[in-house]
Amino acid sequence: MYPIVLLSVLGIVVLFLGFMKSKSVLLPATLLFLVLALASNFIDWNQGKVLYFYEMLAVNNLTLAFNAIVLVSAFMIVAMTRGFQDQEEAQPAEYYGIMLFSLVGAFMIIGYEHLIMLFVGIEILSVSMYILTGSDKSNLRSNEAALKYFLMGAFATGIMLFGIALLYGATGSFNLTDIQSYVSIQGRGVSYILYAGLLLLLIGMLFKVSAAPFHFWTPDVYDGAPTIFTTFMSTIVKTAGFAAIFRLLSHSFTPIYSFWWITLAAITVLTLLVGNIIAVYQNSFKRMLAYSSISHAGYLLIAVTSLSPQTENAILFYSLAYSIATISAFGVLMLVSKKKALEGQVDESYAAFNGLAAQNPLLAFVLAVSMLSLAGIPLTAGFWGKFFVFGSAVERGLVWMLVVAVLMSAVGIYYYFRAIIAAYLKEGDIGKIRIAPFYRIILVVATAMTILFGLAPGIFEKLL
Amino acid sequence: MSASLLVLIPLLPLIGFLINGIGFRRIPRGAVGIIGSLAALGSFAVSVVVLMAFKEAGSTPQVVSLFDWISVGELSIPFSFQIDQLSLLMLMIVTGVGSLIHVYSAGYMKEDEGFGKFFAFLNLFLFFMLLLVMGSNYVIMFIGWEGVGLCSYLLIGFWNKNTDYNNAARKAFIMNRIGDLGFLLGIFTIIGTFGSVEFTEVFRQATGLPVGDPVVVVITLLLFVGATGKSAQIPLFTWLPDAMAGPTPVSALIHAATMVTAGIYMVIRSNVLFTLAPATLEVVAIIGTATALLAASIGLLQNDIKKVLAYSTVSQLGYMFLALGVMAYSASMFHVITHAFFKALLFLGAGSVIHAMSGEQDIRFMGGLRKKLPITFITFLIGTIAIAGIPPFAGFFSKDEILAHAFEHNKVLWVLGLLGSIMTSFYMFRLLFLTFFGSFRGTHEQAHHLHESPTSMTLPLIVLAVFSALGGFMGVPEVLGGTHQLATFMSPLYEGARQVNPAAFAATTLSHSEEYLLMGISVVAALVAALAAYVVYVRRDSVPAPETQERPALQRVIYHKYYIDELYDAVFVKPIRTLSALLFSFGEFFIDLVVNGTGTLVKVLSGQLRRTQTGSTGYYIFAMVVGIVLILFWNLLLR
Amino acid sequence: MNTTYLPSDFLPIVVQFGLAAGFIVLTMIVTHRIGPSRKSKMKDDPFECGIEVKGDARTPISVKYFLVAILFVLFDVEVIFMYPWAVNFQNLGMLGFIEMLVFMALLLSGFYYIIRKGVLEWEQ
Repeated sequence: MYPIVLLSVLGIVVLFLGFMKSKSVLLPATLLFLVLALASNFIDWNQGKVLYFYEMLAVNNLTLAFNAIVLVSAFMIVAMTRGFQDQEEAQPAEYYGIMLFSLVGAFMIIGYEHLIMLFVGIEILSVSMYILTGSDKSNLRSNEAALKYFLMGAFATGIMLFGIALLYGATGSFNLTDIQSYVSIQGRGVSYILYAGLLLLLIGMLFKVSAAPFHFWTPDVYDGAPTIFTTFMSTIVKTAGFAAIFRLLSHSFTPIYSFWWITLAAITVLTLLVGNIIAVYQNSFKRMLAYSSISHAGYLLIAVTSLSPQTENAILFYSLAYSIATISAFGVLMLVSKKKALEGQVDESYAAFNGLAAQNPLLAFVLAVSMLSLAGIPLTAGFWGKFFVFGSAVERGLVWMLVVAVLMSAVGIYYYFRAIIAAYLKEGDIGKIRIAPFYRIILVVATAMTILFGLAPGIFEKLL
Repeated sequence: MSASLLVLIPLLPLIGFLINGIGFRRIPRGAVGIIGSLAALGSFAVSVVVLMAFKEAGSTPQVVSLFDWISVGELSIPFSFQIDQLSLLMLMIVTGVGSLIHVYSAGYMKEDEGFGKFFAFLNLFLFFMLLLVMGSNYVIMFIGWEGVGLCSYLLIGFWNKNTDYNNAARKAFIMNRIGDLGFLLGIFTIIGTFGSVEFTEVFRQATGLPVGDPVVVVITLLLFVGATGKSAQIPLFTWLPDAMAGPTPVSALIHAATMVTAGIYMVIRSNVLFTLAPATLEVVAIIGTATALLAASIGLLQNDIKKVLAYSTVSQLGYMFLALGVMAYSASMFHVITHAFFKALLFLGAGSVIHAMSGEQDIRFMGGLRKKLPITFITFLIGTIAIAGIPPFAGFFSKDEILAHAFEHNKVLWVLGLLGSIMTSFYMFRLLFLTFFGSFRGTHEQAHHLHESPTSMTLPLIVLAVFSALGGFMGVPEVLGGTHQLATFMSPLYEGARQVNPAAFAATTLSHSEEYLLMGISVVAALVAALAAYVVYVRRDSVPAPETQERPALQRVIYHKYYIDELYDAVFVKPIRTLSALLFSFGEFFIDLVVNGTGTLVKVLSGQLRRTQTGSTGYYIFAMVVGIVLILFWNLLLR
Repeated sequence: MNTTYLPSDFLPIVVQFGLAAGFIVLTMIVTHRIGPSRKSKMKDDPFECGIEVKGDARTPISVKYFLVAILFVLFDVEVIFMYPWAVNFQNLGMLGFIEMLVFMALLLSGFYYIIRKGVLEWEQ
């Protein structure tokens, strides 16, 4: 709860800091605010489940852990913006402000106890993303992406709102606990209105985490948006979105598991297939990462679909592993594509990484580790993420789903390894890239975390 | 046995990897080889100390827990090492042969620009392989399993400027992943069934199950799928011959002596489970025999020195699985050990030949090398005799034990195994004769360049040759007046299995005279095959026809020779060639087609699916609406 | 009064809907069919007080119009929030008062932000 209040206020403070002559204070201030929020997040740690704001918001260790993942990711991403110094048209104060506000939205959908909170949170998060997607005003693709995202997002929001309304109609309450008690009393005999409402609400949320067949916006938007905000979208929105879906299903709808799991399973398999298979064809690294984010949504959906006692841990760990790896991959991409842009042509394809290892061993290593982690190779965090997710699927007995997932992860190796091959094995003339010290620290820390959690995933367990 | 000592075994190669991996641009060439080799030798020395301590402490298996690793719900997985007879034997092979190959590589790869990178990868491989054999649960084993696959991928594609090599590397990796799918599913099924992945715990619970329990059959089948991938069995074997694209020491270490035997290690490790599942064992035996035959027949007509050895490896692995299938676990391990010696020797010898021939690998352009490369020749000869199964060299004892067990189990398997061993003897002597006998058939420059390899390369050859010659005496069967020390040493491993199926471990029912007879038949068969090879390739001096017409002078000679040997050709070569070609097209080609076809299918599908991403918002929303309508329709109206 | 209705009781409504829709559709079809339609360049021209048409009606309009309009809507809607608050002022007590102060502070800081950003300066 505290981070919500804190960041709402501090977001406004950042906006006002933008009026100062020197823009250089913005980045440290934002980082400081994020650290403050992270610290305040743990005030409620180990208090059990606490309800705030007339029972509209719940706080327990699960939501706090998700908050922490979101905050850590946000910290890394903000640190990699380098104050937007190199962009003339950029408006750093606004960008940082919007990022902080969007985090408020993320916290709301992580901790909602009331469906209105879910709706408001998703709107805050989405509207912020629409703006950030279109923030590169002079770039036509950025504008197009923003408009597309907005149109489709509005459509999905409408569907979701309709679902919430139907749920209210069926149960007479927006409150998750009330809905839960209604559903468990009625069992499978609940009215069709509730079924329809649940499905529509799920569809709206699945759109936000880009599950097939509601994924169409993802590649275009991720590709068009400035890379830094793509990173933001693909990590924070996804983590928060999955937290929301997981809380909804695990909290309120376990009694009718037999109703929704088949639908979700079908969507999961479709998402895995679409994400992994189309990614094979891409030549643009950035677009590949967009499809990869779809495929990772598929893996996370496996955990949600199986909804076993392990699921909670699996989703947490997977989100963390995925977020860190994605951030470092995008971090390397930004440096390389900027270097390429300085040399004349903007290049976000695999070929941009050719020969990276020769002059920039650190960047190549960071890229390789993040790719290995995304591909789920052992001794990286990504492996354990997949291990836990698959474990929870086995616990539920969804072995057929596991077969699809493992096959698809074999496909994944193909396109993740292309980046490693380009960086280490291909010839290229990429020069030495200068990395700001802080940026370097973030990359190193992210890589170290990936390896650390890969070597000893138990540490994560201990932290909780 | 202190934990710190055990940790040192995998830690030393890891340190070597880190030093060479991080500093491979700064460390001088000389130091790289020394660091890498020292890491391997150090861990060998520690392994020896551990083995001594183990024997002194009364040979009791123990699990050394290092730290709590993961605990998810009720499942907790410690990071711990298990030291028992099996892991010790594997440790000795991996670190022992590994050290020799490291020393050899220091000479072999000296000129290569990626020298430091090569040693770093080699050390990393050793680290993962040691994790694989030392881990006390399936998860650590799996991590090592995946890790060695990764290193094998990196090392096959080591000379990455060649696209073919990259493709070979990728093929190996993807085929291994298919196998890993089985292994992973097996592990998850084990978790689901036993609630643990610790070997001791799983096997303790398993002994309470009846023979033929369906869950155990499923588990073992899944594990076996994993083993077929890593150990190159039908249908996942075609990656191994392609993997010869890597540098020769890699082929010796990874694709002959250690990594490919991981599947056998896994089966022996899980012997309780496999003993409980006779149905799986049947499958294992059949696939092993089929692989042994298929690969041996393909090997008959290969002309690339490394390809011959590669097919031979596949075929020998088939023998090991045959042994596993008839529950002769010790015999299988025995063959793993002797095979590690002589196959590493043969590969390193081949490397020495290739080194001398400036990279030429085609045996049609070799010949008469025995005078120029005396040490290589003698060691290669020893290796060939060993693999052909001629006493008293190592291969005889292990192969004969396997065949005896097969005979006891099923006569058909024995006949097929014998057939395979005849072919083995033939193609190995063919290789030997074509390479080292007759007259030199290469270019003039090559002839000028021929030289014996440096000491760092010949020394490992000599050591391995000694082991190939004498290694068999660790398992002299009782019928020949021995005590079979190896089997005695390993027998505590089968405590659990013996409990569930005592009949399988009863003493042999073969009489001594029968055993003598079996041995006699296989030795005579091997000798006859060797003699046939001698007649064809030394006395008649025939050379296989070249694939292209690029060398007219040479071709004329060959043509002439073939004119003389036309009769022989029609009677002997043609049928075999047809059979071999048929098997080749049916086996290798077909499987490749399926694998490549899947790859192509994914690509085509990807290209088609990509078209759904039109960029038009209206279309996207339409697709979404269709999705929503389908979901609602199906859920609300159809169900 | 009868509180249970059968579907058939709604029949008159359906009939009425049908009639209403039918009438509209019918008149549209009939007018298109029977009315004489002559087309010429003069007739198809848009009529604007006798002045000849120049260019497209969809000219770009300065974004300032939109900004001012959207800001008006924003502040207008937010101020409406005060009406229900005022009605319940007695019940909400001190806490309600403080909450309104917070709300006003946020609103005013937004207002200040707009002014500092120069959104309301028309001439710029």
